[in-house]
Amino acid sequence: MDVVPAPYEVPQSPITSGERLPVRRLERPVQGRYLAGVCAGLAEHLGLNVRHVRLAFGLACLAGGAGIAAYLFLWALTPQSLGTTPVARTDAVAIGRPTNEPVRNLVVGLGLLFVGGVLVAQQRGVNLRLGVLIPILTVVGGAVLAWSQLDVAERGRWLVGDMGPAGRRAGLVRLGIGIALATIGVVVLVTQGRGFSGLWEVGIPAVAVLAGVALVAAPWGVRLWADLRAEQAQRIRETERADIAAHLHDSVLQTLALIQRQAGDSAAVVRLARAQERELRGWLYAGPLGSQASLASAVTEVAHEVEDLHGMPIELVVTGDRPLDVGGAALVRALREALLNAVRHGAAPVSAYVEVGSESVEAFVRDHGPGFDLDAVPQDRFGVRESILGRMSRHGGAAALRRLEQGTEVSLTLPVTAPGSHSQIQPEAQTDTEARTDTEVQADTEGRR
Amino acid sequence: MSEPRSMEPGPIRLVLVDDHRMFRSGVKAELDESMLIVGEAADVDSAIVVVAQTRPDVVLLDVHLPGGNGNGGSDVITGSGGVTTESGAPVRFLALSVSDSAEDVIAVIRAGARGYVTKTITGPDLASAIRRVADGDAVFSPRLAGFVLDAFGAAAGEVAVIDEELDRLSAREREVMRLIARGYQYKEVAKELFISIKTVETHVSSVLRKLQLSSRHELTAWAVGRHLL
Repeated sequence: MDVVPAPYEVPQSPITSGERLPVRRLERPVQGRYLAGVCAGLAEHLGLNVRHVRLAFGLACLAGGAGIAAYLFLWALTPQSLGTTPVARTDAVAIGRPTNEPVRNLVVGLGLLFVGGVLVAQQRGVNLRLGVLIPILTVVGGAVLAWSQLDVAERGRWLVGDMGPAGRRAGLVRLGIGIALATIGVVVLVTQGRGFSGLWEVGIPAVAVLAGVALVAAPWGVRLWADLRAEQAQRIRETERADIAAHLHDSVLQTLALIQRQAGDSAAVVRLARAQERELRGWLYAGPLGSQASLASAVTEVAHEVEDLHGMPIELVVTGDRPLDVGGAALVRALREALLNAVRHGAAPVSAYVEVGSESVEAFVRDHGPGFDLDAVPQDRFGVRESILGRMSRHGGAAALRRLEQGTEVSLTLPVTAPGSHSQIQPEAQTDTEARTDTEVQADTEGRR
Repeated sequence: MSEPRSMEPGPIRLVLVDDHRMFRSGVKAELDESMLIVGEAADVDSAIVVVAQTRPDVVLLDVHLPGGNGNGGSDVITGSGGVTTESGAPVRFLALSVSDSAEDVIAVIRAGARGYVTKTITGPDLASAIRRVADGDAVFSPRLAGFVLDAFGAAAGEVAVIDEELDRLSAREREVMRLIARGYQYKEVAKELFISIKTVETHVSSVLRKLQLSSRHELTAWAVGRHLL
């Protein structure tokens, strides 16, 4: 066989073009329908032409209204298909009121036709017994309204987000009107010409019977409702659980697997554990520090990056915060350089403290290494000195290097200026330094891996 | 400041309260002979019972614990109010947490804990923190110092004029807190500020007192909902 049919090229008949389910269920489609989609659904289910089905129903209607009865019956029992097409799924309005315009036109037209027919029949002397007909029509109208509302409510359950409180209220109003109409129709029908005394005569036993039924059915109904709620809650919990499980699988379990594989390399284990801890912490307590453009978040990000590069924990403390401006960005870059310096040449513990005050930003990086003499710095440190000390002074700040009894401390100071007054910065010099710094870091990263 | 405990003979008697057994055994393995673990508990209610029975010098207390009124470590401190050691000193609590959430830390400090350290602390550091708390001093991790500076507005330059003011730090206290936040040990702080270690301890204890007693409204408002990453 040379020609292998493409798996997705399923031959589609024009009728079933909207269908996706392999098993054909009798459903009322949302699109391409005139009334409630019974004919279209039936045609799709039976594999017939929609027009033929519609014609058959129309003819059946003439035969003593059998078509109407069948239509109503099928409509009540056939579920509406749920988002058969992607278009219907994305367009909430189309789903909520799929064929509003034609339906309204049709209802109005049928109503007018009906009224006209009745008037003509009356004039011909046919006794239509309006006293019975009008209540029956009222009942039917109310029932249709109420049922269609249940239909919408069912749809709304699948599209909770799209309905909104306003839509739900409108639905409830329509349901109420439908029920009221049906009730009035029944009452008028039953109390035929007997006035209000008749209403009492019939109404009280009816209400009593209804109350009895309600009494019997209430526990069952309540139970059913409670079960439904429990099931919904269960489903929500399961979804949440699945989300958490998925997240843990992608993060924690993967990291644990990596740690097991690299158990011999303690530096790698520490690095993995720190990175995972941070990730999990961020996921659990995602707080206001997450905003991207703040100095505190930029500092945090840089500290984490350096931690990841070298697997040495950095104890970072940040107080205060302010928007990240050009000077702040320079401070962050200088801080990064100082941190890299500390983890590369110093010894643990490395701590960083950044204080964002109202007049100045101060940053301190401290390690516990043997320390060094600034005048006797080796060649590779010269660039670092330039990118920390030089960069800070270019931005109107200052940097100092101090040797402690144990370790070294780099302190950076940057006066806080009003926003928009950074025009004195020379961008060329800045980018030059940055490019060099970045390549240096990259080379370092590659050397480590 | 109460009388230094180091004058007394014998090891520091310790109770471990943490709902993770693995962590408890880890701490036990790290501590030396100068500490004697006299009791362990995994939840609030059993912790209160154990503390009342054993009357330890120091309780190492996890911030997050099941049971009680749902406030974790704070409930243990409240429930153990008034319990003293055999020598008559109050039982001291050192909070220990992985949470780092300001809300939890401030709550447990305000309930009466003498200090706060993170669970990633090294064995020797933990031992010295326990010793310090047993002596009645306060233990501030760099992170807690950062919390304090932030919560009291000290980072923004607010400084108390008189030392007794509860709602602000004095200039000296602010300096001490800043150095602790920068990763300095107490003795390094003392050297840096040309003061004795005892004076540093006094300043830290005074900050702890302010943290516990201050009615500064920002303190609560700030702590709620803010988490340090």
